[in-house]
Amino acid sequence: MNFVKKYLTYAIIGALAILFGALSIAGVLTPSYQYLFEKISISVILAVSLGLVVGFLGELSLGHAAFMCVGAYLGGKISQLIVEGLGLGDSNFLVFILALVIGAVSAGVCGFVIGLPALRLKGDYLAIVTLAFGEIVRVIFTNAKVFGGAQGMPTPRFDRKYLFVIGFLLVLATIAVIQNLLKSKHGRAITAIRDNEIAAKATGINVTKYKLVVFALSSAFAGVAGVLYSYSNFNIQPAKFGYNYSIEILVMVVLGGMGKINGSIIAATLITFLNTKLPLVLTGELAVLQNLFYALILILLVIYNNAPALKGFREKYNFKNLINLIFKPKHDPAKVRDDAARWDVVPTKISMDEVISTDVIIDNYGDNSADIGERGGNK
Amino acid sequence: MNFITNLIGGLSLGGIYAMIALGYTMVYGIAKMLNFAHGDIIMVGGYTILVFAASGVHPLIAIVLAVVFCVGLGIAIEKVAYKPLRGASPLAVLITAIGVSYLLQSLAQMIFGSGTKMVRGLELGSLTIGKLIINVSTIVTLIACIIVMVGLNLFVKYTKIGRAMVAVSEDKGAAQLMGINVNSIIMITFAIGSALAALAGTFYLMRSPSICSTFGSLPGIKAFTAAVIGGIGSIPGAMLGGILLGIVEVFANSVPAIAPYTDAIEFAILIVILLVKPTGFLGKKRREKV
Amino acid sequence: MKRTLTKIICLALACMMAVCAFVSCNGGDEEYVIGVSGPVTGVAAVYGEAVRNAAQMAVDEINEAGGLNGVKFKLVFIDDKHDANNISTNYASLVEQGMQVSLGTVTTAPGLEFSKYAKQDNVFFLTPSATGDKIPEFANGYQMCFADGNQGTVAADYVNSLFKDQGKTIGILYNSADSYSSGIYTQFKASLDSSITTIDAAFTDDKLADFSGQIQSLKNCDFIFMPIYYTPASTFMTQAKDIVPANAVYYGCDGLDGIDTAIEGFDITTIPQEVSMLSHFNSKATDGMAKEFIDKYVAKYGAGTLSQFGASAYDCVYAIYGAMKNAQDKGTEIPSDISATDLCEILKAEFNGGYTFTGVTGTNITWNADGFVQKGAVKYVVKAANAQ
Repeated sequence: MNFVKKYLTYAIIGALAILFGALSIAGVLTPSYQYLFEKISISVILAVSLGLVVGFLGELSLGHAAFMCVGAYLGGKISQLIVEGLGLGDSNFLVFILALVIGAVSAGVCGFVIGLPALRLKGDYLAIVTLAFGEIVRVIFTNAKVFGGAQGMPTPRFDRKYLFVIGFLLVLATIAVIQNLLKSKHGRAITAIRDNEIAAKATGINVTKYKLVVFALSSAFAGVAGVLYSYSNFNIQPAKFGYNYSIEILVMVVLGGMGKINGSIIAATLITFLNTKLPLVLTGELAVLQNLFYALILILLVIYNNAPALKGFREKYNFKNLINLIFKPKHDPAKVRDDAARWDVVPTKISMDEVISTDVIIDNYGDNSADIGERGGNK
Repeated sequence: MNFITNLIGGLSLGGIYAMIALGYTMVYGIAKMLNFAHGDIIMVGGYTILVFAASGVHPLIAIVLAVVFCVGLGIAIEKVAYKPLRGASPLAVLITAIGVSYLLQSLAQMIFGSGTKMVRGLELGSLTIGKLIINVSTIVTLIACIIVMVGLNLFVKYTKIGRAMVAVSEDKGAAQLMGINVNSIIMITFAIGSALAALAGTFYLMRSPSICSTFGSLPGIKAFTAAVIGGIGSIPGAMLGGILLGIVEVFANSVPAIAPYTDAIEFAILIVILLVKPTGFLGKKRREKV
Repeated sequence: MKRTLTKIICLALACMMAVCAFVSCNGGDEEYVIGVSGPVTGVAAVYGEAVRNAAQMAVDEINEAGGLNGVKFKLVFIDDKHDANNISTNYASLVEQGMQVSLGTVTTAPGLEFSKYAKQDNVFFLTPSATGDKIPEFANGYQMCFADGNQGTVAADYVNSLFKDQGKTIGILYNSADSYSSGIYTQFKASLDSSITTIDAAFTDDKLADFSGQIQSLKNCDFIFMPIYYTPASTFMTQAKDIVPANAVYYGCDGLDGIDTAIEGFDITTIPQEVSMLSHFNSKATDGMAKEFIDKYVAKYGAGTLSQFGASAYDCVYAIYGAMKNAQDKGTEIPSDISATDLCEILKAEFNGGYTFTGVTGTNITWNADGFVQKGAVKYVVKAANAQ
C-alpha cells in the first residue's frame, strides 16, 4: 500500500503521458487538447518549483515568471540561432535538450544571484525584492534589441504532437528531483528552516547554503518551464512575464495547499484548464463573465480550503474521503494523526514570529504524506 | 526651472502614492496581509465620482460620497472575503485579495464597459508664477497628503481606537486579552484604508481624469513598493517612500534616454534600499522569537 | 451494495466527462464560419470589443440580405486577453468550430502567433487591426490596416516634407513596451531626415496616469509625433494642454483614431493644440459609407467603442464577402462546407488578382502580393488649433 502511495503520482502522470501520447500519434487527440496539455505541463512545473520555495522553504517569491523569462529568452534565442544557422527543423530534439540545459542554468544562476539578498531579507521584504527583480528583468528584455524588444522574439515551435509528451516527462523529472530532495536529510533541513530559522541555525544547519540552493533549484526549473514555453510558441514577448503571471503561479501553489506537491499539480491543472476553457465557453457578450467566474472560484476555493470555521466540514467531505469511499482502504489504528502540526497550517515567514513552534512530533506526516513520503522516524 | 517643475510634479505624484501606501501599510500593520485589492478600491472610488459627477452632484459632495461608498465596500470585502480566513495562513488571504481584485475589475467592466471614460468637474485650473506653471490640483494634493499623514499619526497616537490599533498590530492575542475587540479594530482599519484609497483616487483623477477598469492596478503596485521602501507598517515611512518614488518617477520620465527604464530604476532603488536597510527606511526591526 | 452503486455512478460520470472532453463539434453545415481572436477582457478589451461588434454587425447585415447565394455567415469570436500564449488553444478551437476563413487577431502580438498557425493549415485571414509588419509575412495573410513600418515611413515622409533642412526639433511620444507603438517609432526614426532632431519621450504603460515627466521633456516642441493609442493620448493631452505651446501640432497614426468619440467625457475642443493623424477612417465623417457605418454602429452599440478598429473589421467582413462573391460570379463553386485551404486558394487568387474593394475605410482598396493594403492615407485633422 505504501509503495503504491509513494509512486502514485508518477504512475498517474506517466500513464497519462503514454495514453495521450498514443492518442496524439494516432491522430485522435484534437490539437486544442495538445496545446492545453502543453500549457498544463508548463504550469505544473512552475507551480511545483515555486512550491519548493513558498511551501517548503517558507519564503514568499513574487518573481517566478522572471526566472521563466530568462530561461525562455536565453534558451529560445540559442536554439533559434542553431536551428536557423544549421538549417535544422524546429523539432530537433538535441537542440531542445541544449536549450533546456541553457535555460535551466541561466535561470538557476539568476536565482542564485537573487537568492543572495534573501539571506538578509525576511517575509514581505523578500517578496517585494523578487517582484522588483521580476519587473527589472521584464523591462530589460523589453528594451533589448538583441531579443527583439517589445515586438518579441521568434522561437522554434516544437511539433505539437510530441511537445506535450515531453512536457509531461519534464513534469515527472521535476517532481522526482524535488520530491527526492525533500525526502533526503537536506529536505528535512529545508523544512526546519521554514519552521524555525533560528532553531535550525542552532542545530547546525547551514541556512545560507540551503536557501541559496533552494532558490537556484527552483529558478532552474522555472527556466525549464520557460524553454518549454518558448518551444510551445512561435514568438515570445516580454509583456507576458510581468508580476501578474508570477502571482498566477503563486495562486496555483497556495490553492493547492502549501507544502503539498500533489496539491500544486492539481491546482495548476485546474487553473490552466479554467483559463483556457472559460474563453471558449463564455463567448460574445458573456466574455466579461470570465474574470468574474475565475475570481469567484478562486475566493470560494481558498475560503473552503483554509477557513478555520469550515474545518469540521472539510474533514467530513473531502476528496480523500470520497476516494476512501470508493476504494475502502484498510483501517490502520497504529497511525495517529496530529493535526496541530499539519504542513498547510504552518504559514510562510510572513507571520513567523507569531507561530509558536510546536511541530516537533515526528510522525505527523504519516497520513497526508503522499508528497513527503516516509520520514526519518519511520526507518 | 525644469528642475522645480519636475520636483513639484514628483511631490504631488508622490503624495498620491503615499496616500495609497498609507492604506497598504495600515492594513498590513494590523491584519498582517498584503491587500492586493487595495488598488481596485481606488478604481471603485474613481467610478463612484464619475457616476455622481455625471448626475450633476457638486464635485465635493461626489468625493464625500465616493469615500463613504468605498468605506462600505472595504468593510463588506473584509467581512465576506477576509474575515472567514482569520487564523488561516496569510498567503490564503493574499490569494482571496487577488480574487477580490479580479472580481472588482470585472464588475467594473460589466457596469461601465471596457472603454476609458473621463471624469468632468474636478479640474482646478493652474497658477502661473513667473515662468512656472503649477496645477492647483498639485498643491491641493500635497496639502491634503500632509493633513492626512499628520491626522493619521495623531489618530494612532492619541485616540483610544488608535492605541488599540497599535496594540493589535503588536500582539493580537495580548490585545484581545486586554479587552480590545480585535475584529472591530481590523474592520476600522479596512474602513480607513478604503477611505484613503478613495481619496487617492480623487487626487489621481484631478491629475488625469481618465478612468477604466484596470485603473488601480498600476498605482496599487507602485504604492506597495513605496510602502516597503518606507518600511511596511510605518505611517511616516509610507509617506516618505511614496514621495521618493513619485519624484524618481517624474525625473526619470523627463529624461528621454532613460524613460523606457523608469520602472526598472524605481525597482532597482527599492532593491538597493532594502539591501542597505533590510526593513526599509523607518520599518521596525522585529526580534525573532524562538 | 451502496458502495457499488457509488462506484458505478463515479465511473459513469468519469466516462461522460471524457466523452464530453474529446468530442469536437463542427459548426452548422449551411454556414461559412469566420473565426477571429481578440481581447475582450483585460487591458486591451476596448479594441477587441470594437472589432467584435462591428464584425458581427457586418455579418448580420450580409445574412439579412440573404448571405452569399443563400448561404449565411457565422462569426466565431474567442477572447485572447491580448496574450499571445492563448493563441494556440484559441486557434485550435476556432478550427474545431469549423473556421473556413478568418479575421486573424485584433492586436499585433497575438497576431504574430496566429499567422504562423494559419500558415500551417493554409487558412486565409484578413486582419482588421493587427498592424505588425510581419503579420502578412505568409501568402495567406492580409491586412486591412496600414502596417506599422508603412505608417512610420509615411509619417516620416510627411514630417520631412514639413521640416527638412530647417534645423527643427520635434517631439515623439511613444510607448516603449508596446509592439505597435515601438514598431512605428523605430521605422519613423529610420526614415526621418537627418536634419531633424527629435526628443523621444517614452512611457511604458498605456494606463499610465501621470505624464508630467514626459510633458517636461516635450514642453518646448511645437510638433509632437505620437504613434500611440487614443487612451494614453487623451490622458497626455489633458495634462499637457496648458504646458505644451498652444500652437503645437499633435500628429498621430491610426491608433489615435477614436480620440474624439470613444472616450466618454473627453471633450477634444478643450485641447488648444491641433490634433491630427494619419488614418484611413474618419470617425466624424459626415457623408458616404463612413457616415452610414457610424450611424448604424452608434445606434447599436453606442459611441463608447467606436473607432477605426470597428470600421476596419466591418470592412474586412465585407471584403471577404465581396471576394467570395466575385469568385462565384466568375464561376468558382464555393460550397458551404468548403475546406479552409480551398477557400484560401480562391481568396488568394482574388486578392492577388486585382480585386478592389470600397468600404468604410477607403475607396478602391487593393492588396499587393505581400498582403499589405494599398489605399489612401489621409492626414485627417481631428481638431484644428485654437485661433491665436
